[in-house]
Amino acid sequence: MNRYRIPGRGRVDHDAPVSFTFDGKSYQGLRGDTVASALLANGVHLMGRSFKYHRPRGAVTAGSEEPNALIGTSRGPGRFEPNTRATMQELRQGLVTESQNKWPRLSFDIGAVNDRAYMLFSAGFYYKTFMWPRSFWDKVYEPFIRAAAGLGKSPSEEDPDTYASRYLHTDVLVVGAGPAGIAAAHSAALAGARVVLVDENSEMGGSILSDPSVRVDKAGSWTWLASRLAELRALGVRMMTRTTAIGYYHQNMVALCERLTDHLDDLPQDAPRERMWRVRAQQVILAQGALEKPLVFDGNDRPGVMLAGAAQTYLNRYGVRVGDNVAVLTSHDSAWYAAFDLADAGSRIAAIIDTRDDLRADLANAAATRGIRVLKGHTATGTKGRLRIASVRVNPVAGGRVGKPAKIACDALLMSGGWTPSLHLFSHTKGSLAWDADSKTFLPDHKTEACQIAGAGRGLWGYEAALVDGNAAGMAAVKAMGLTISEGRFEVEGDRPGTGSSQKELPTDRSAGKAKAFVDFQNDVTAKDLRLAVREGMRSIEHVKRYTTNGMATDQGKMSNINGLMIAADALGKEPPQVGLTTFRPPYTPTSFGAFAGYMRGETFQLTRKTPIDGWAEAHGAAFEPVAQWRRAWYFPQPGEDMHAAVARECRATRASVGIFDASTLGKIEVAGPDAVEFMNRMYTNPWTKLGIGRCRYGLLLGEDGFIRDDGVIGRMSPDLFHVTTTTGGAARVLNMMEDYLQTEWPDLNVWLTSTTEQWATIALNGPNARKVLEPLVDGLDLSGAAFPHMSVAECSVAGLPARLFRLSFTGELGFEINVPARHGLTLWNALMESGKAYDICPYGTETMHVLRAEKGYIIVGQDTDGTVTPQDAGLTWAIGKKKPDFVGKRSLERPDLVTSGRKQLVGLLTEDGSKLEEGAQIVLDPNQPKPMKMVGHVTSSYDCGTLGYPIAMAVIEGGHDRMGETVHIPMPGGIQRAKITSTVFYDPDGERLKA
Amino acid sequence: MNMQEHDFATAPVQIKELADLVRFSLRVRPEHRADMAAALAMELPQKVGDRAGFATGETLCLGPDEWLILTTEPAALVDAAREAYARLPHSLTEISDREITLRLTGPQVLDLLATGCPRDIEALAEGRAVRTVFDSATVVLWRDGPAEFRMDIWRSFAPHVRSLLAQAEAELIAGL
Repeated sequence: MNRYRIPGRGRVDHDAPVSFTFDGKSYQGLRGDTVASALLANGVHLMGRSFKYHRPRGAVTAGSEEPNALIGTSRGPGRFEPNTRATMQELRQGLVTESQNKWPRLSFDIGAVNDRAYMLFSAGFYYKTFMWPRSFWDKVYEPFIRAAAGLGKSPSEEDPDTYASRYLHTDVLVVGAGPAGIAAAHSAALAGARVVLVDENSEMGGSILSDPSVRVDKAGSWTWLASRLAELRALGVRMMTRTTAIGYYHQNMVALCERLTDHLDDLPQDAPRERMWRVRAQQVILAQGALEKPLVFDGNDRPGVMLAGAAQTYLNRYGVRVGDNVAVLTSHDSAWYAAFDLADAGSRIAAIIDTRDDLRADLANAAATRGIRVLKGHTATGTKGRLRIASVRVNPVAGGRVGKPAKIACDALLMSGGWTPSLHLFSHTKGSLAWDADSKTFLPDHKTEACQIAGAGRGLWGYEAALVDGNAAGMAAVKAMGLTISEGRFEVEGDRPGTGSSQKELPTDRSAGKAKAFVDFQNDVTAKDLRLAVREGMRSIEHVKRYTTNGMATDQGKMSNINGLMIAADALGKEPPQVGLTTFRPPYTPTSFGAFAGYMRGETFQLTRKTPIDGWAEAHGAAFEPVAQWRRAWYFPQPGEDMHAAVARECRATRASVGIFDASTLGKIEVAGPDAVEFMNRMYTNPWTKLGIGRCRYGLLLGEDGFIRDDGVIGRMSPDLFHVTTTTGGAARVLNMMEDYLQTEWPDLNVWLTSTTEQWATIALNGPNARKVLEPLVDGLDLSGAAFPHMSVAECSVAGLPARLFRLSFTGELGFEINVPARHGLTLWNALMESGKAYDICPYGTETMHVLRAEKGYIIVGQDTDGTVTPQDAGLTWAIGKKKPDFVGKRSLERPDLVTSGRKQLVGLLTEDGSKLEEGAQIVLDPNQPKPMKMVGHVTSSYDCGTLGYPIAMAVIEGGHDRMGETVHIPMPGGIQRAKITSTVFYDPDGERLKA
Repeated sequence: MNMQEHDFATAPVQIKELADLVRFSLRVRPEHRADMAAALAMELPQKVGDRAGFATGETLCLGPDEWLILTTEPAALVDAAREAYARLPHSLTEISDREITLRLTGPQVLDLLATGCPRDIEALAEGRAVRTVFDSATVVLWRDGPAEFRMDIWRSFAPHVRSLLAQAEAELIAGL
């Protein structure tokens, strides 16, 4: 039995011991414990070291707001997690934990010298200290700060766990399953609404779990809780524990992170570790309760000093006394009940020290009955004890004067500075807050979403108040959906109502400037730092926050924001609302990257489109490259080949005999209807009226601005039907653009567009032997040059499959593109490979395709054009139907700046020394001009492994078409390259090979 | 990729690819809808998401002027459409191979779909179908029964969607 555990007490299973280790030492806790409660049961308060001063720290809370007790947890390789809250991590068999931010060990830490140098490390220390010399920043200061910053160590191995995501729709989402949340869920469910109730803890009940003495509806609060939860289950309420609402987004979308396996002894197979829920609710009820505030005084961070409410939770929920001799320091009534519970459980209460002068008579009587010493109107001015509190120094305060000190010995000090409504999620919605001058706190005011706020979350206190308010919130939520329900009634006996007074840092008889009175425990920000920030000119709380880092730690200022504000406001001599509150942002508590990533890792990292021939390419060792959403075969290296060698071989093979290429990703649009030809005339620059059935044409698509948007070969299948192809990346864009014009500009046209990209698998055959490979497979079509010349299209049968066969070329060789229904794509590929064996048919990828087309000067939209290139710039004026009355972009082509001289125009480049140029390299005319040089263009495409035996490049250069034969210069890090401007057609300029 | 098929009674979901279906996309002006329906001897529902059966297939309204037609008699459909073309201009495009169809069933099929589809699937009425997304892929989701769905996925997106469904299925079998 643990020294501080009370047999039979609490909600832990006393018959189920659980072993775990902390910093290598074995401990035993109980099923239902958290790491923090189990360590406290063993008398261990020291759980970590602080971030800046490396001060010894213990758990200060019992919940997710914990700033101190951050530990590393592990369950084997890859499953180490830093910065886990010991107050939230449930005990599991064999759990391995370790403290952080200490060296060489937790009880003796070298970094604690920072603490001795406290006066040096004031607010803005980094800004002041690391300013000069400037040159030191990159090499010395920044690496030093980065090394010193951060808590815990990042895991270095890949996370073997999986993470899940799910969408959820509901009528009512209730966040927080304390009394208010349970009452709200109950009334909403009784009214017939679909209800989801979530709570971040391992079990539902909220504050009820820490207050078993209260009686609700004539039953003990725990009995009432059990029956009410059973009722909710029976009503069909979806109840989710270990589920944190981390963010509240537009239109009532709330993100929930559910922790599924961290509490389990053994990991079930295939079970995700966490699940992110994206919930869309008609109504959201925020019943998140309130967070207790620490008091700010010198030494308020010593292990053993903790919030009174936390001690009450450790006692009643976990059966753990946090000390034998406990002092209580408070400005709120609630801490008195914690003192009474502990006294009744056998701890000695050294004293209740209340900052207030007027005490509630019933509380004073209850203390007297228990023989507890009460000091009213007192302040605390210091604590002693090395790794655990040993005494607290207290002084009376009268008329603003701090009197003589007295020392009270204790092994734990419970503090309560009152309670702050938890407004984080409400703040995510940009709902406005109103300052309540009486309770000195911010309360929810104007709402921007369909939500209700209930209970302590809007400043109410006591069980009856919370239950009644939750019930009303549930009613209001369902009323907004047109459902009704009569009011619920609650009879509460032994309620624990309370009020308090809000404090800045407590008054002291010592030098306030030397007090280590912590406001933000995690970032080691003291009251002195905040006052210094104000003295140094910070006026807005946003500036104070950034200057001191108050509230910027992973707890997001859950405990420090209001205390910080009270102190800053006091220093400024203003009311707190005039100083303002910093904005809370998602996530509410630290959330694993895995939960955000969900399924988006590995194979499903991002959507990847695959062609019907993708599997063949993978099996044949293709290297892939992403093109838009597709993955495409890039090249097919043979054993021992690098990319350069593979591409050179593929180029040679295609030009010498025949190459085969998967072109299935090309966008395809069926343009059909009586007005199809008129539509094509208006969309594309080219004339279409006279294009014969069974013929193709290169089509050029401009934007309204006259710049090239897309291109592709278009076949006329019948008078009313065009088979349009687009670039791979442009398919969706072009279809959208066409639909846009059709629906908004030309709704009178009888023409319809259907995406057929995926209907067809497309295989390109190129090379002098292409016809010989294809011919034996074709039925119903004469493939001879005379019967089926370049730029023809026909429907026929290929390898027994229905096909649309194009004769066209993107390589300059005799070429065909065979379209078959996609399910047959692989069948056709295999048939062509078989037929091509005799001709050493060579599969090639996108890189070879790029090289072969560049050798012919065929542009790639998006590579050789960048959205500012006109047809004239690209040397494509031949593709413009000059006699057409209009087409998209026509008028823009006459704009003065599009017809002016000196525009960047597409040209070829050949280097003098045969070196390869770099794509994107900038071009200058005079390499000897002073810097910055005038850049006249850049390299758009460059290849060195083609058929020609020397590298080629394309570039856009100002006035390039008039500079043929001139030499330009390309300054590079290793020297200046010289290149001659040429035509873009490097290979077979007369196009004889196409006519084969 | 392979999908495991769980035909035992306890399987939370079953995922099966349906044999190749014959699909057409029909586009016709709304004012010609009724006449076109008569010409094709089928109902063309007016409301987006509504479906109707006919002798040899099924139609689904996907837009004010867009219908998806599933048929076992494509030749008859094409002939009837051709006959009506001069009077009722339209486009009828075969898209059988554009998509693949998965049949998704089982007691936890709603959870399976909720892993990737942001719609309130529970609220999708039986006998209706909607164009929606699964993860980032556009799909058409048909509800055939309380726990029976079909999902049409563009072919190239199918490997991604099927991999996601396989992960979700494993998760459902794990029971957490």
